[in-house]
Amino acid sequence: MTDTPSQDEIVRLARQAGLDLPAAYMQELVEAYSHVRAMVDRLPAGRPHGDEPAHLFVPQKFLPAKE
Amino acid sequence: MSDPAFLTIAAASKLIAARELSPVELTEAYLGRIAKFDSLLDSFVTLTAERARAEAKAAEAAVMAGKPLGRLHGIPYCLKDIYETAGIRTTAMSKLLADNVPTRDGYCQEKMAAAGGVLLGKNATWEFAHGGPSWDILFPPARNPWNRDHSPAGSSSGSAAAVAAGFSPATLGSDTGGSIRGPAAACGIAGLKPTYGLVSRRGVIPNCFTHDHAGPLAWTSEDVAILMQVIAGHDPEDPGSADVPIPDYAAALTGEVKGLVIGVPIDWLEKESPMTPATKTAFDAALEVFRGLGATVRPVTLPPLQQYDDAKKIIAVAELFTIHGKDLRTRPELFGASLRYRIIAGGLVRAEDYIQAQRLRTYLARAMQKVMATVDLLMLPTSEPAGKLEPVPPASLFTRLSLTTPFNVGGNPALSICNGYSEAGLPFSLQIVGRLFDDATVLRAGDAYEKATPWRDRRPSL
Repeated sequence: MTDTPSQDEIVRLARQAGLDLPAAYMQELVEAYSHVRAMVDRLPAGRPHGDEPAHLFVPQKFLPAKE
Repeated sequence: MSDPAFLTIAAASKLIAARELSPVELTEAYLGRIAKFDSLLDSFVTLTAERARAEAKAAEAAVMAGKPLGRLHGIPYCLKDIYETAGIRTTAMSKLLADNVPTRDGYCQEKMAAAGGVLLGKNATWEFAHGGPSWDILFPPARNPWNRDHSPAGSSSGSAAAVAAGFSPATLGSDTGGSIRGPAAACGIAGLKPTYGLVSRRGVIPNCFTHDHAGPLAWTSEDVAILMQVIAGHDPEDPGSADVPIPDYAAALTGEVKGLVIGVPIDWLEKESPMTPATKTAFDAALEVFRGLGATVRPVTLPPLQQYDDAKKIIAVAELFTIHGKDLRTRPELFGASLRYRIIAGGLVRAEDYIQAQRLRTYLARAMQKVMATVDLLMLPTSEPAGKLEPVPPASLFTRLSLTTPFNVGGNPALSICNGYSEAGLPFSLQIVGRLFDDATVLRAGDAYEKATPWRDRRPSL
């Protein structure tokens, strides 16, 4: 992600996510999203394929508890 | 005997076992101080005085009958108000849970009760352990007993304030980015974020599933070790719970740190999150104590602090939204403004970005364990001394770098202890970080430092 979305675009994305908020809260969301977006934009790109997500499916976790 | 409310768990347990201190007398000492002083601190949101009196009486009867005593027999404790307690309101300080009365105890409460503890009540937190301090939620924020104009930090605010003030010798908090260690630091007590998976989170209202840790706070590292013995262990009902052997934490407190190698992440402290001169002086003095005890100190290099912060916060905002999305969509006005601001944009985080943040976490956690393989411990300040208790811009959560969050990302055990006091009388803090599942060495170092320094002799005056 590199292009910063406009306020209208953020409102559209919010409504798409089911957030049909009162105007004051929508303004909060627009401002908060700018900070989240800055963090996302700082994520280093091009991870090696071996860097799988930190939380993976571990089947042993789903074995029934031992008696 | 001095005021029993200022006894450590270790000391009170010995006196109880020797029939020199009654659990009833000890419980009344804490209830008396809470009744007299907690209106100044707001550290409790629910007091369970009658239950505590009944449990203390039963504990006393067991002592007199010569029955076997649990690790916490007759010892009062309290819980952050995100720990579910059967029949006792559990609110997370949120209007959304104002009437929430769980029907089942969480894992840790089961363990504390089984060990013979006496539940005093539930402590103030930030809303859902994330947004705060807030004045527009169910209860007012807790205050710092060292100076009531100052913050006890968050989110285990009331927990740390209660222990420092002598309202309870023990409490359990939670730590997703520093919420045990920050309040422990601000209130000058000991607080451990255990290794991820070592303490079950079952029955702890979630903040961010992948970074949440439950853990103990107490006046000393020795008391934290005693509490860890009670709550550490495998719980098949917590999918993050680790099935590993649990060592004898108290036995590990040998007072010996000779030969340990301590790493200091110097780039974080000099470039990315520079210490104030006073904090640096206190930190350098603490390292000197460890050198004097026979440890070696050397600089280490970790990936940038900013990367740890970004990975955690992207993951957290998405998971928080997942937890609270329904309420944000239908009744957003019931959230405090601070929490709402901090989580509402999580609904716009794309799956791709969440997964990339999880992949970055993999890299960062690996990098941390690689460095930890070259040292026994890391040391750094937990935070600067407590700031004023006043509304903070909610955006500060996103913009302020944290020295505690990297160890939530890595999962490593991290203890905060007191390493002195500022000119204003506020505690300084030292963070001691260990290898995964080597919480015992972390506690050993904390205990050795506390016993080599005079900082545990001072209490706040209310």
